[in-house]
Amino acid sequence: MNERAPIVFVVDDDPSVRRSIKRLIGSVGLQVELFGSAQEFLLSKRPDVPSCLVLDIRLPGISGLDFQHELAEANIHIPIIFITAHGDIPMTVRAMKAGAVEFLTKPFREQDLLDAIQLALERDRARRQGDAEIAVLRERFESLSPREREVVGMVVSGMLNKQIAADIGTTENTVKVQRSRAMEKMQAQSVADLVKMVERLRSPARKSRVN
Amino acid sequence: MISGNAALTGSYDLLQVALSVLIAISASYAALDLAGRVTATRGRAQLTWLLGGSAAMGIGIWAMHYIGMLAFRLPVPLEYDWPTVLLSLLVGILCSAFALVVVSRRRMGLTYALIGSAIMGCGIAALHYIAMAAMRLPAECRFDFRLVALSVVLAVVFSFASLWLAFYFRDEPQDSAWRKLGSALVMGVAISAMHYTGMAAATFIPAAPALDHSHAVSISSLGTLGIAAATLQVLGLAVLSSLVDRRFDSQGLELALTETRLELAHVARIATMGELTASIAHEINQPLTAVVNNGNFALRQVASGAPNLEELREAIAEIVDDGTRASAVISRIRALLQKGAPDRAELDINEVIQEVTILVRHEATLSGTSVRLDLAADLPHVLGDRVQLQQVLINLVINGIEAMRTLTDRPRELLIKSAKNADAVLIQVQDSGKGLDPEQVGRIFEPFFTTKPQGIGMGLSISRSIIESHGGRLWTVPGSSGALFQFTLPTDGNSVS
Repeated sequence: MNERAPIVFVVDDDPSVRRSIKRLIGSVGLQVELFGSAQEFLLSKRPDVPSCLVLDIRLPGISGLDFQHELAEANIHIPIIFITAHGDIPMTVRAMKAGAVEFLTKPFREQDLLDAIQLALERDRARRQGDAEIAVLRERFESLSPREREVVGMVVSGMLNKQIAADIGTTENTVKVQRSRAMEKMQAQSVADLVKMVERLRSPARKSRVN
Repeated sequence: MISGNAALTGSYDLLQVALSVLIAISASYAALDLAGRVTATRGRAQLTWLLGGSAAMGIGIWAMHYIGMLAFRLPVPLEYDWPTVLLSLLVGILCSAFALVVVSRRRMGLTYALIGSAIMGCGIAALHYIAMAAMRLPAECRFDFRLVALSVVLAVVFSFASLWLAFYFRDEPQDSAWRKLGSALVMGVAISAMHYTGMAAATFIPAAPALDHSHAVSISSLGTLGIAAATLQVLGLAVLSSLVDRRFDSQGLELALTETRLELAHVARIATMGELTASIAHEINQPLTAVVNNGNFALRQVASGAPNLEELREAIAEIVDDGTRASAVISRIRALLQKGAPDRAELDINEVIQEVTILVRHEATLSGTSVRLDLAADLPHVLGDRVQLQQVLINLVINGIEAMRTLTDRPRELLIKSAKNADAVLIQVQDSGKGLDPEQVGRIFEPFFTTKPQGIGMGLSISRSIIESHGGRLWTVPGSSGALFQFTLPTDGNSVS
């Protein structure tokens, strides 16, 4: 895939902490953008590249955890690394359950942050790739005729050609033709392949994020 | 004895009667005063007060009787048998000691008071009639027994009244001196009434001296005066030493109170700091995070072999700044946690407000509260203890933040304002919550009153005592939107430079 340079977004209300994180992440060659509040981050124009968010728990106006929830609601699936100067276990549990990549207590070890950023960017890449693949599959699936889609659905659920023909009131031969045409359009090598594709299309978008 | 002889007619020297009543009143006052001392002290001091008190009081009652008797003039020479006189004095002192023991008890039931007054009344009556028996005169003394009985009853009733009065007044502070004086008046008059009733019971019939005159002494008017003067002196000394002792007591109490208040303020500060742990951790960890990050960056730059010197310099400068910032937070907290005598210094109250804002910033952000400062420029200095004033402000701010925790229909805002106000500065802390419950407003400054589930209810009462010890006032203003607390601090006249 043709990919542009990834970006790390940092939201922390303490300017001196913000600057120090930028220096640190910048020193390993990553691009960094800083924000003083969740609002600033939401209003910014973010380029369509692999990215992750380093988010302070304590933010003016909204807690980092609530912001994580808001992003999910708004269908923004950016991997989040939480940093906090004063974290507790319930906070950590809540963050991780909601899909955070890492929960770091300030002051953190630089390697922990850099590792977490690498992992987060990996996840974002994978999610983007998955999203792209699904987009291709969906495109293919949408090129099928309504009857072909119907036949595919029945094949995937394990029905034999004869049963399908009986079900939709046509001959077995017609079903065979429709079936092979659908497999061709979907670029499926085998029935097993087709099953997998349909499975992916059916699964909710969120699942594809974690490879 | 020859019956049918005419009774001797006695007359009273009114001046001496008045003197006897005065002594009775003084003795009563001393008794009321000393009862309080006997109760207030413990151990050896209590015993000393009891002995001294009963001696003074006994001498008082005794002297009253003798002066009352000397005031009675008979047309025959009159002498006294001194051993009997001493016996009557002893009875007087024992009787007083008994009375003091009774009234210095923790509690006094009715039965106890009745038995006590019966014994005491009989003692006083005994004193009177022993004193009568000490008389040596060429006459026979006859008693009207109805009047004798009346005098004993009066003695018992007066004893009962005086026990109750003494018990009631023993713990009263000095400002009740007038009431004490009033009851001493009643008691003194009662003692005198008993005495003169007893005297009226006696009739003297001329007769040959039948009694032993070997120990008899006569008493001149000068002697009377001497007895009176000595008695008044003894009673005066007793009351004076009681006053002095009480003054010392109250000074010690005040000192202990100041110490306790300091201790309490310290404990409350620690409790407040406990609530602020999240803030404190945050305020220290923020600069430390920046220090660690910048340090790591610097190491990487150096390790790369070709460091960008300008970037390196910037990072190191920030390390220095953040280190200083962290240490400033720590010393502020240390100061708040330290116990120490109040330390008065000239302060810029705006500076104190800003320091507090830093400490509570995290608390405010976590609860979604925005803190707004409206500080007047050119405020005069105040003379105060920085730590204690910070404590008051932290208390008010945390209260405000907590009061708004459940607020959902409008923004949570806390306004801290400073202003010049005549020869004082006025500091206001106002929240945008639902305000104070009118039913509770009167009680919020009471110790242990709290509306918070985890509160101990000491914050506001300690805050008020801190502000008052600075010569200012802390109060709440009704009718404003949200709760508004404000306090004044007197200025020292010098403007902030």
